[in-house]
Amino acid sequence: MAKAITKIEAGFTTLKRGASTLNRRCCGGSDDARQAMNGNEHGRAMDLLTRREVEGIAEPDERWLESHLAACEECASYELALSNAERAMRSFTVMASASLVESTRARLQVRAVQLRERESRRFLIAISFAMGVVFSTLSAWAWWKVGGWMVERFSLPSVIVEPGLVLFWLLPAIFLGILLVAFPESKFEGSVMQLFMKDRQRGIQ
Amino acid sequence: MVATAFSSLVMMETEEAQIASGLRRRDPDVLDALIEQYQHRLLRYLVHLTGERATAEDLFQETWIRVLEKGHQYDGKSRFVTWLMTIAHNVAIDHLRKRRPASLDEMRDTEDAAPFEPVASAPSPFDNVSAMEDGARIQAALEQIPPIFREVLVLRFQEQMKLEEIAKLINIPLATVKTRLYRGVMALRPALRGHG
Repeated sequence: MAKAITKIEAGFTTLKRGASTLNRRCCGGSDDARQAMNGNEHGRAMDLLTRREVEGIAEPDERWLESHLAACEECASYELALSNAERAMRSFTVMASASLVESTRARLQVRAVQLRERESRRFLIAISFAMGVVFSTLSAWAWWKVGGWMVERFSLPSVIVEPGLVLFWLLPAIFLGILLVAFPESKFEGSVMQLFMKDRQRGIQ
Repeated sequence: MVATAFSSLVMMETEEAQIASGLRRRDPDVLDALIEQYQHRLLRYLVHLTGERATAEDLFQETWIRVLEKGHQYDGKSRFVTWLMTIAHNVAIDHLRKRRPASLDEMRDTEDAAPFEPVASAPSPFDNVSAMEDGARIQAALEQIPPIFREVLVLRFQEQMKLEEIAKLINIPLATVKTRLYRGVMALRPALRGHG
């Protein structure tokens, strides 16, 4: 049995590799038929048998397969095993219980609400970010002008005013960074920042 | 003949496109209809894949959650059932990886595995008993088969999927699908002698 299985598996391998003929002696029937059988033919027979039920095969292939099955015991035996397995597996099923379906629907509803909320928050964050970029660009330009005016008006050295403006510009971000590092997460309970971070963590998981 | 095939293809495309559109909108009615339509098939696949009813039920829920979350990724060009089973397959793999880092081969059935529920094709008591006996026999035989073979058998014989679809779903070469199908059938053969 094991020998026969190996031979038919070899048929698949042959089919896969497109290798040349493998002479085998696994078949019943006449000596002529035995000599004519080779790995490619078994591979083809296996392939056609496998495809016949679902994909369907062409009429000439069907005729060739029937003649091959009549001459090859092992392939005929595989055909029987295949149809038995198919019939057996179709003869019973697994049913989902109503409670399982209901609890799934309930979980889906909850998750759908969570997703909607998350999307709203993301939208809010995106809008805030876009507005921040626009306002900071505009105000940077305005402050730069103010800095220039101060340099001219009070005769201040630009070496001091320019870095001062940059530092002033970065102050809010530095302040927020210090807050985030210095205080535990609980201080931001309910804040947009905390919700955003939680979402990110959930996404990573 | 050709016209019929074409019109059925167009109908299928329309249906799949409608599903894709509904999933993108996260339409609860579409989701309800999909759960209604695919509940048994999905659970059956997961039970066969995991070998445990309780685990399969957890993964069933998880799969639908993921359908909700990733619904926008379904483009409607392939059959929905293939996409659904791909999600279920990935959910099962993720679950296994979380449980322990191992291959699907280790998803062998355990002692607490719940039995399959045989359903008789005919309502007579004799047929019921006969079907239950067959179901028990097939179940016992299936339990002996590694899940990687069992999965292919289920997708092929119960879901009637094409070999190419199975290959795409499991993300393995077509030749491997054929080999797994062959080995699964051959592993079932001793238990099914005289069946039918």
